[in-house]
Amino acid sequence: MIQLYLDPGSGSFLIQLLIATIAGLSIAIGANWSKVKHLLGKKKIKVEANDEDDDEQQPGA
Amino acid sequence: MKTTMNNNPVLDASFRDPSGFLFMRDGVLYRQVNKIYAEDYTRLMDSGLYAKLVKAGLLISHAESGDGEAFQPADAASAFRTLRPELVAFISYPYEWSFGQLKDAALTTLSIQKRALKLGMSLKDASAYNIQFHAGKPTLIDTLSFETYQEGEPWVAYRQFCQHFLAPLALMAYRDIRLSQLLRVYIDGVPLDLASALLPMRTRWNLGLATHIHLHAGAQKRYADVAVSEARSGRKMRKEALLGLIESLRSTVRKLVWKPAGTEWADYYAANNYTDAAFEHKKVLVGEWLSKIEAKTVWDLGANSGIFSRVAVETGADVVSSDIDPAAVEVNYRLVKEKKEQNLLPLVLDLTNPSPAIGWNNHERDSFLQRGPVDATLALALVHHLAISNNVPLPRVAEFFSVCGEWLIVEFVPKSDSQVQKLLRSRTDIFSEYTQPGFEKAFGQWYTINESSAVRDSERWLYLMHRK
Repeated sequence: MIQLYLDPGSGSFLIQLLIATIAGLSIAIGANWSKVKHLLGKKKIKVEANDEDDDEQQPGA
Repeated sequence: MKTTMNNNPVLDASFRDPSGFLFMRDGVLYRQVNKIYAEDYTRLMDSGLYAKLVKAGLLISHAESGDGEAFQPADAASAFRTLRPELVAFISYPYEWSFGQLKDAALTTLSIQKRALKLGMSLKDASAYNIQFHAGKPTLIDTLSFETYQEGEPWVAYRQFCQHFLAPLALMAYRDIRLSQLLRVYIDGVPLDLASALLPMRTRWNLGLATHIHLHAGAQKRYADVAVSEARSGRKMRKEALLGLIESLRSTVRKLVWKPAGTEWADYYAANNYTDAAFEHKKVLVGEWLSKIEAKTVWDLGANSGIFSRVAVETGADVVSSDIDPAAVEVNYRLVKEKKEQNLLPLVLDLTNPSPAIGWNNHERDSFLQRGPVDATLALALVHHLAISNNVPLPRVAEFFSVCGEWLIVEFVPKSDSQVQKLLRSRTDIFSEYTQPGFEKAFGQWYTINESSAVRDSERWLYLMHRK
């Protein structure tokens, strides 16, 4: 177990496990949305650029 | 305001984290990194995370003992390294920020966490006080906020992020902008059960707020007496899931917006571009006088959206531009962002009740006045608000300004002016001393008048004064 100096809160730990599972799932679906649609026979796979490259963008800028 | 260790005053803002602390020696600010934090600090520097974050303007840079210099630690027994961090022009607090400033500080924190996770580290705290506006942009100033990421571990600072950022932002956006002031009462952020109770019902339909605030508050209550390890019962959180959590927080914060009721931002921008002969003359006088006294630090009090603050910046000063109106401050901050201005910090401040010293021992966060004095104070179209709307006698107004700084540029607006007439319309005129001779006499108790000039095309006067 790592040393913690902040009390993470038991409820806060549990709720993020729950949210993260949902969020992780929706991101996985989101990232592969075009593939999902393709599987459903709706559209061709289209390569889309990310709307924002978070890595290079500074939020305050 | 400081405690002492081996004659080196340790700053009272940095005592909670055992990883290290800030101290002053011979007027220079240092940060001691403790041995207990050696491994994490080494990883921060060696993984490239430090360089990457500093380059992106997300983390304050520092010089390390050994970079051609030797910094003595404050407490050699516990010290691993001694750093000299780059200085921030003015330390401000989240209850002094506009909506956009708090939102950008939140997004900066998440952006840092995302980059840290990519390089095997994680933020061990997410305090809004660790973010400061440096050269116009929100920047993490606590170099010791990182720890090595342990696969399977949830985000230890998640609760703090929700309390310091998400809850106040949601309350400001969905309930009332003035609820930012809750941060002044709750130094570790707005308690989530309080935020949940105050937020309107419709926020329960917002997936982000429903989970991160409402459900989160419920879970805290339910598991209040349960140990973390017991509540988890061995459950792990995969890294993808953790990144999903960060992304969910980011999208929830990004979607929060605030606009003053009944106004359009355009109206504020239009007022900002307002110009007439009197206004232009005032700008010239302020610019000339500030250049003459070579003021390096300026507080523009009652700055509205910062027109005269920008005149001050042009003369080479670092300027804090404060106003009581959160919308004016928001416009001011948007202008800073648009123009990438580096020397102007807009802040929300009520001069009749400026930020007090708060926190542990009343020493953790300085009062507004403790963060001065400055070279020059600007008080333009302000005195009538303090004297007439707030009943502050003129000598007390002068005394307050004299605490703020050495020089004062102040405008006297006579009773005959339409703006003062507006203030007097709703009340009895009990202000017999509010005349130009009365003004000069009151301010003369505290100041020597160096320059005075009638403002063209108006009945107003502008003064340059020096503290006695």
